[in-house]
Amino acid sequence: MEKRSGQGGPAFQEDEEMEEEDKAPDMEAWERAYADDRSWESLIEDESGLLKAGDDVQQQRQHRRRLIQASGPRIQRGIIRYLCLILDFSRAAGEIDFRPSRMAVVAKAVEDFVREYFDQNPLSQLGIIVMKNGIASVVTELSGSPEAHIRALKSNLESFGEASLQNGLELAHTYVQHIPSYGHREVVIVFSALSTCDPGNILETVKKCKAARMKCSVVGLTAEIYICKHISQETGGSYAVAMNEGHLKEILLEHVPPPAAMPDASSASLVRMGFPQRGSEGAVAICACHKELRIGGGYICPRCRARVCELPTECSLCGLALVSSAHLARSYHHLFPIPTFDELLVDASLRGKSSFAGSCFGCRIQLSGGGSLRLRCPRCKRDFCFDCDVYIHESLHNCPGCETLQEEAVT
Amino acid sequence: MKFVIEGLTVYFPYEFIYREQYAYMVELKHALDARGHCLLEMPTGTGKTITLLSLITSYQLANPSLAKLIYCTRTVHEMEKVLDELRRLHLYQEKEIGSSRAKILALGLSSRKNLCIHPVVSGETSRESVDAGCRKLTASWVRAAAETNLDIETCSFYQGYEKQGSEQPLPPGVYTLHDLRVYGRQRGWCPYFLARQMIQFANVVVYNYQYLLDPKVSGIISKEMQKECIVVFDEAHNIDNVCIEALSVNLRQNNLDGASRNIHKLNQIISRFKETDANRLRQEYNRLVEGLAQQGNLHGSDNWLANPVLPEDILREAVPGNIRRAEHFVAFLQRAVQYLRERLDTDTVVKEGPVSFTTTMSTAAGLDQKALKFCYDRLHSLLLTLEVTEIDEFLHVQTVCNFLTLVGTYTRGFSIIIEPYDERMPHIPDPVLQLSCLDASLAIKPVFDRFQSVVITSGTLSPIDLYPRLLNFNPVIIHSFTMTLTRDCLCPMILARGSDQLPVSSKFDMRSDPGVVRNYGRLLLEMVATVPDGVVCFFVSYSYMDGIINSWNEMGILQEVMQHKLVFIETQDYVETTLALENFRQACDCGRGAVFFSVARGKVAEGIDFDRHYGRLVIMFGVPFQYTLSKILNARLEYLRDTFQIKEGDFLTFDAVASSLRSVLRLFVYLYQRQAAQCVGRVIRSKADYGMMIFADKRYNLPNKRNKLPQWIQSQLREEHLNLSTDMAVHIAREFLRRMAQPSDPQVSKSTLLSQEDLEKMAAMPNF
Repeated sequence: MEKRSGQGGPAFQEDEEMEEEDKAPDMEAWERAYADDRSWESLIEDESGLLKAGDDVQQQRQHRRRLIQASGPRIQRGIIRYLCLILDFSRAAGEIDFRPSRMAVVAKAVEDFVREYFDQNPLSQLGIIVMKNGIASVVTELSGSPEAHIRALKSNLESFGEASLQNGLELAHTYVQHIPSYGHREVVIVFSALSTCDPGNILETVKKCKAARMKCSVVGLTAEIYICKHISQETGGSYAVAMNEGHLKEILLEHVPPPAAMPDASSASLVRMGFPQRGSEGAVAICACHKELRIGGGYICPRCRARVCELPTECSLCGLALVSSAHLARSYHHLFPIPTFDELLVDASLRGKSSFAGSCFGCRIQLSGGGSLRLRCPRCKRDFCFDCDVYIHESLHNCPGCETLQEEAVT
Repeated sequence: MKFVIEGLTVYFPYEFIYREQYAYMVELKHALDARGHCLLEMPTGTGKTITLLSLITSYQLANPSLAKLIYCTRTVHEMEKVLDELRRLHLYQEKEIGSSRAKILALGLSSRKNLCIHPVVSGETSRESVDAGCRKLTASWVRAAAETNLDIETCSFYQGYEKQGSEQPLPPGVYTLHDLRVYGRQRGWCPYFLARQMIQFANVVVYNYQYLLDPKVSGIISKEMQKECIVVFDEAHNIDNVCIEALSVNLRQNNLDGASRNIHKLNQIISRFKETDANRLRQEYNRLVEGLAQQGNLHGSDNWLANPVLPEDILREAVPGNIRRAEHFVAFLQRAVQYLRERLDTDTVVKEGPVSFTTTMSTAAGLDQKALKFCYDRLHSLLLTLEVTEIDEFLHVQTVCNFLTLVGTYTRGFSIIIEPYDERMPHIPDPVLQLSCLDASLAIKPVFDRFQSVVITSGTLSPIDLYPRLLNFNPVIIHSFTMTLTRDCLCPMILARGSDQLPVSSKFDMRSDPGVVRNYGRLLLEMVATVPDGVVCFFVSYSYMDGIINSWNEMGILQEVMQHKLVFIETQDYVETTLALENFRQACDCGRGAVFFSVARGKVAEGIDFDRHYGRLVIMFGVPFQYTLSKILNARLEYLRDTFQIKEGDFLTFDAVASSLRSVLRLFVYLYQRQAAQCVGRVIRSKADYGMMIFADKRYNLPNKRNKLPQWIQSQLREEHLNLSTDMAVHIAREFLRRMAQPSDPQVSKSTLLSQEDLEKMAAMPNF
């Protein structure tokens, strides 16, 4: 042990200085963090007395930046997806830095994700795996019904033990192995832990996943973890870490639009599909998916006449992919996205020239007053407000300006 | 890119340059113009090396009168890195101005251990044995004997070099140690001797500090360097220690025993020679009368170590009569060893100046000071005369002669301390006689005097005004650069209180307090649950680390830590620690996460970088003050106070803060480097390394400690990161890690980089 008794000099001085330092009145650390920030000063009160946080236009730009980043050139996309969702319900998921707990927040975000996923990818399937207590277990098999997934997930909410990424990936690997070659194999891992306790070498498993053309993406809840980054980089997936609850949902929803097709998987092939008829109301049949007698409803496979309950699915008798034409149509827009609109900076010379100088082509709101961006479609040169832009790109998937142009051309 | 700084065209191999790199170049150029020395501090990993190289080589191109650039590094690894950078630069210069103008010869020089390609000798493990093995095959008398007797083995590579290599210079280019070995194998030339010869012709020489600072080595290697050289000491923050070590000698019991054995053996050889070849001994005697202690022009392979004394202090006189005869000299040595043995056999600590030591020596044992001065040269001459090739066996007697010569030569700046046992383990007798140099300026003075410009640079030279006083020189430029960060990727925190709001410190009266130990434990526990991948902890000493780990184990804290991360501990055993480090890295790679416990001044893990995910967080538990009861430290502090007016407290604090910083900063070595490499293409990937550091001791919060931090860290140390408690630190860490995990905006990072156009624009503006 070191001694510094005899060596009075430096140690002695320090004590004195220390006391001086302690006496000095000082702000608390948390106060100091906000002292420079002054976030309250950017609050604005509008005419009806509501408080608005900061600059509207700035927030709108922020929102659009994400849109612009997401939209690339027109590319081949895999619209028939088989996605395996691996959720981490280990001890770390019980932490309460997200309220009420990380697990609850994840469950809520996943619920939204599942609904949105099936809404935008009606031809695709999804399965859920949960990691807890060092093992990975199947919650739902790959299937097409959002409600079934959400129900199963909700009955499975408890967290304990360690997380093992290797077990999770291995399970997903066996899962995904026997899906048809035209399907896109994806894994999305929602990871709250900071470490993984594996039975073997995870790097081997990553190689195996890569060989099986599984695209593994990771959504982290706490911090950047090397192995997660490694997994996503190796397999061509993405990696993002959530800042807060809202951001978590946002990055999870980024996995909703179909991803770009992998280069080696792009050999064009025809996929045999059936478009089943809806069974008549009073018909009684043994359901092929539930193996029991059902009355009414359901769809009838055009090839083997088996009855299935839900679309889209795979006929359990003859293995034909069963879809409805509406599903195909809904997937279609991903392949031909409408272009992102350009932001016009408002300047005086532009006013008056344009035919719809002051108003949005969609909702006729005045654009000149500020409070909204002015956005122009590069094809039809019509201006839109921010809200209409969001509606057109995220829900409508058609540009009203371009559609009227076509109509005019016809007439 | 190519740009002009005040009339000098600078070739820089990347498309972008950081602002601080540009500023660094400007300052460096001023110093070179003024032909003076300079002291520059720039953050670790900002691409100092390439900045230095590109400015100085461009300067050389513009001013052919400059002789060479001598670049000194601390380790072989750093040396290779420098040469790699230089190669990249050279390729770029060739592309820009054609290979005929950009012709440079650059090479690294290291010991035989790193350069030897002889199949048997290069397999030896220690440096000394490789040297000795080489000598056995290449000494002039061995080769002379081999000419007549074919049974005597020589080194074919050396013979090859001797035949052709010594006339044919190396073609221009950049040669790393590896390249030299490959080239040597191809041509059948010895790379070591080739390199040693070629440094006379080279434009850039990269080698170890020792080759300039240690008179034993520099006398041989760097003797013929011209005055018009530019000398760079990179990573020079502990240059004062290197200087001191170069002139210090420790003698222990085993050295003296070994020396006695050596002397006995010398006696045997002398008597054998007397019977067979008495003529040789007589010749040597005559030579010594003429005052040629060192043989006039020795053959390259024959001289292995020069005099340990600084060049200007070597006496150019005849060797005194009482040690001219071989047997007299050996008897003299025997008396000296006997005397030293008596001195070593003591129960109390003795501290003496060299003057009183030599006086008592001459009265008690009849060893006069004049003769002492010549001991080393006399031994050297004797070993040559006796044609001894196993120099590694004679190390002990060399150490003793080294000691005697230094004691005889210097009267100031040294002290002799005899300690009967280690203070920390008083029950184990381990007597040691230390001749310790107290004045770092002694060894470096010849370098400053001899060369036109000396550049001392590092990431941590703060407080920067202390260095000129420690090294006793007048730099023309002193500058500390800050860094422009693309984002706050550095998060230093000062933690003063534990989770129960009680202060934490490693102060002697607090360190064994269970409350402090528990608070430190809780801090670690909270942090391993918050920080991903690798965490590195530094403690002030091995004994403190052992103690605290023991208590943590008893408290159950260690078990809880293990639930989150695996624990690895540095020990004093080299192999064990290497193994631990390897497994630590593996645990970080595969996502299990790991903690590494290390010691701030630990020798074992020194020089290992914890970059990227291997060190997301570094915790420094306590302030690593030097062991203040150490006699050597006290002697040095006294000397510094008396000679340079540096207060003890100042020096101790500087030293403690600097060493904790150096430990902590090992994680940021690659902060920029990787990024710089990525700037080659058009796209800038700005995903830089990031990390946090926690200084866990209330004393760091004092202004006198905080001010000792380099400017570029102070600028990152925000007001709200001072005087934290554990829970606040955890909160900050969480936020920081989430923020750093976000992809960074390429637009922002671009603004910290300057392209060629930006620089031209800046040059156009008159008052930049």
